[in-house]
Amino acid sequence: MNPVIPAPVPVPLPAPAWLVQVLLVFTFILHLLLMNMLVGGGVILALSSYLGRRDPRHRDLARRGARVMPPVVAFTITLGVAPLLFLQLLYGQFFYTSSVLMAWKWLAVFVFLTAAYYGIYWFNFQQAALGGRAFWVMLVTALILVHIMMTFTQNMSFLERPQDFYPRFLETPVGNYLGSFDGGTMARLAHFLVAALAVAGLGLALVTRAWRGEAPELAIWAHRYGLRWFLAGSGLQFLVGPWFFFSLPADIRSSFLGVDKLATGILAVAVVLALLAMIAARRSLAVGTVAIVGTISLMAVMRHLVRIARLRPYFDPHTLPVQGQWGVFAIFAVLLLAGLATVGWMLYKFFRPASARATSA
Amino acid sequence: MNYPVWEPPLLGGGLVIGIIAILHVFVSHFAVGGGLFLPITERKAYRENNAALLEYVKSHSTFFVLVVLVFGAVSGVGIWWSIGLVNPEATATLIHVFVWGWAIEWVFFFVEIAAAFIYYYGWDRLDAKTHLVVGWIYFVSAWLSLFVINGILAFMLTPGKWIEAPSFAAAFFNPSMFPSCLMRTAVSVALAGVYALVTAATIRDVALRIDVVRYAAKWVLAGTLAIPVAGVWYIATLPPMAREIPMGTAPPVTIFAGLSIFFSLLIVTFTYFGPYQYPRYFNLTFAFLIAVLALSATGVTEWVREAVRKPYIIYDYMYANTLRVADVPRVRQQGVLSAALWVHQHTVDMEKPELSGREVFRVQCASCHTVDGYNSIRFAVKGWSPEMIDYLLLHLNELKGFMPPFVGTEAERVALRAWLLTLNPQPTVREPARPGVQAEVPAADRPGATKP
Repeated sequence: MNPVIPAPVPVPLPAPAWLVQVLLVFTFILHLLLMNMLVGGGVILALSSYLGRRDPRHRDLARRGARVMPPVVAFTITLGVAPLLFLQLLYGQFFYTSSVLMAWKWLAVFVFLTAAYYGIYWFNFQQAALGGRAFWVMLVTALILVHIMMTFTQNMSFLERPQDFYPRFLETPVGNYLGSFDGGTMARLAHFLVAALAVAGLGLALVTRAWRGEAPELAIWAHRYGLRWFLAGSGLQFLVGPWFFFSLPADIRSSFLGVDKLATGILAVAVVLALLAMIAARRSLAVGTVAIVGTISLMAVMRHLVRIARLRPYFDPHTLPVQGQWGVFAIFAVLLLAGLATVGWMLYKFFRPASARATSA
Repeated sequence: MNYPVWEPPLLGGGLVIGIIAILHVFVSHFAVGGGLFLPITERKAYRENNAALLEYVKSHSTFFVLVVLVFGAVSGVGIWWSIGLVNPEATATLIHVFVWGWAIEWVFFFVEIAAAFIYYYGWDRLDAKTHLVVGWIYFVSAWLSLFVINGILAFMLTPGKWIEAPSFAAAFFNPSMFPSCLMRTAVSVALAGVYALVTAATIRDVALRIDVVRYAAKWVLAGTLAIPVAGVWYIATLPPMAREIPMGTAPPVTIFAGLSIFFSLLIVTFTYFGPYQYPRYFNLTFAFLIAVLALSATGVTEWVREAVRKPYIIYDYMYANTLRVADVPRVRQQGVLSAALWVHQHTVDMEKPELSGREVFRVQCASCHTVDGYNSIRFAVKGWSPEMIDYLLLHLNELKGFMPPFVGTEAERVALRAWLLTLNPQPTVREPARPGVQAEVPAADRPGATKP
C-alpha cells in the first residue's frame, strides 16, 4: 500500500530548499549543544544533589552548577525554535502528520517543559532551603527532561516513516498514539542520552574555569569530575552508537559504509574527531571542545542525510516550487548579524574583569 | 482535508489553542510592557536618587524573569505546538508566507532573552548606565518581536492585497497591522502596570508602597485609556462581516465584545478609585482582583478577535475548517470523503450513512464543533427535523454567515444529516392546531429519519 502523505501547501518556498536545509542543520547544531548541556546537566546535578548529602564537594557542585541552568534551558528553547521552523517549512507534511497522530504526547511537551523550567529555577533559588528534598526536585526535573527528549526522538523518528502513518491512524484514535518504543527508536534515544551526559560533562569542565577565583579547590575537582563524565559518556557511545547505527535500514547503513563516499567520509571524520576529543580533553580543554563540537556538527549533518535518504522514496524538497523572498531574507541576515553583535556587546560588558567594570562605573 | 483531524474531547481544538493563547497573551504583553516599565522606573530611581525604589525594581525584575522568561517563552512555544496540531494546513501556509518574518522574530527573541538574563544577573555586575542600556535593548527587541508576530496575526484577519498579489510585503503590511500593533502596545503598557501593582502591593515600606502603587496605577490608566483610540482605528480596517458579527449577528460574540468593554471599564474605575486615589489602602487582594479583571478582559477580547474571523482562518483564503476557498468547487464535485486523506471511509456507505456522516463531520466541522463539549453539535441540532438540517446544510453560509458553506456531494450531505439525527431523540412534531384535532407524529416514522 502506498503511504498516505499530505500534499505540500500550494505556496512556493520562499527560498531554495538547499538554503533552508543549511539553516535547518546549522541552527539544529546550536540547539543540540545547549540541549545536551540541559539534559545531561540535569542528570549530573540530580546525582550531585544526592551525593551532596554526604560529600560537600558534590553539594557545592550542585549549588554552583544550578546557577548555569536557567540560561541553558532558555537558550535550548530559543535555539530550538529555529530548526523547528525550518523543519516545518520543508518537511511540514511529515512533521504535522506525525505530530497530530501523537497529539496528546506532543502537546504535553509544552506542559512538561514549563514544569521542568520551574523545577530548574526552584532548585537554583531554593536549594539550601529545600535541603534533602532538593534532590527529588532535580531528579523529577531531570526525568521530565529525559521524557521530553524521548518524545522528540519518537516524533522525529516517526516523521521519517510515513509508511507507518496510515496504519497508526487506523489502529489508534487520532492523537492517542504514544510513539514507537521499538529497538531503533530506543537506540536513537540512548545515543542522544549518552551524548548529552558526555557533552554536559565537558560543559561542566568548562564552567569550572569561572569558579577558580572563588573556589579553587572545587574548580579543580569539578573539572576532573566533569571530564570523567565526558570520557565515560564518549566511551559508552562507542557501544551505543553502533547499536543505533545498526538499527538503521540496511541501504542507509551501507551508504555510510562506502557506498556513498561523502557520507562515509563524514562518519569517519566524526568518529576520528570524537577519539581526538577524548585524548585531547585532559591536556587541552579547548582542543577537546573544538573536536567534540566538530563531531556533533558532523553527526547533525549525518542525521540530516539519513532523513533525506529515508524520505527519498516519497519526497524530494528540491522539487518544490521556489519564489525567493530575497529582500526579507537580506533583512533577516543583517538583523541576525546586528543581533549577534548586540548580544556580543552585552556579554563583553558582563564578563569583563571586575577591575575594568569598576573603572568605567 | 489534508491532515488527520485531532478531536480533543469536550474542549475541541479551538479551545485548546484558546486556553494556551490567552495565557500567553496575558504574559507576553507583560513581557513587552514590563520591559518598558523596568528601565523607565530604574532611571526614575537614579534621577531621584531613590535607593528604595531601585530595590523595588530589582525585586520586580526577579518576578519579571520568573513570569516572562519561563511561562512567556514556553507558552509561546505552546501556541505554536497547538496550532500545528489543530490547524496544520493553516500553520504550514503561514510558515510558507512568513518564514523570514518568523526568522526575524527569532532574532529579536534571541536578543530579548539574552538581554533579560544580562539585565537580571547584571544588577551587581554592570554600571548603572550599561545596565539601563541593556534594559532598553530588552524592551526594543521585545517590542520588535511583538511588531513581527502582530503582522502575521493581523494578516489572518485582513490579508488585504496578498489575496490578489501574494508577496511578503503585501501580507505583512496588511490593513489592520498598524492599528493592531498600536492596540497591543497600549495593552502592554496597561499590563505592565497591572503586574507592577501586584509586586508593589507587597512592599513593606509604607511611603515607598504608596508612591509605587500610584505610579503603577498611572501605567494601567494610561494604557487602558489608549486602547479605545487604537481600537476604533482597528475596527475601521476590518472586513464588513467581521464588524457585523459582534454587533448582534452572533449573540455570544456580542456578549463577549460587551464584556471586553465592561471589564476594561471596571479596570479603569477600580484602578482610578483604588490604587490611584487611595494608594494607602491598596493591598495584594485588590491587586489580584485587578489582575483577574485584566486576564478576563484579555480572554474575552482575544476570543472576540478569533470569533470575528469566522468563517475563515485566513480571511477570504482558507475556511476555519482549513478548506481553501479556491478548492471548494473541486471538493464539491469530488466529494469531501474522497478528497480527504484521513478518513475511514472514502465513499458514503449507503447501508449505514450515519457512519459516513460522522467522517464528514470530522473533516468538515470538528475544527470548530465538538460532539458534546464546547460548541456542541449535539446541542446545536437538538430538536431539529431532517428538513431543517437539510435546509441548513444547503444554505449554511447564507443562514449563518460565520460558518463556511457545506462542501460535499449530495450523498455526503445526506450522510451528515443521518449522523446529526442520531445525536438526539427525534422531536415530536406538532401539526398546526386545528379545532378539535392535535396530531403527534413520531419522528422516527417520518420519511428521511434514521434510527440511531
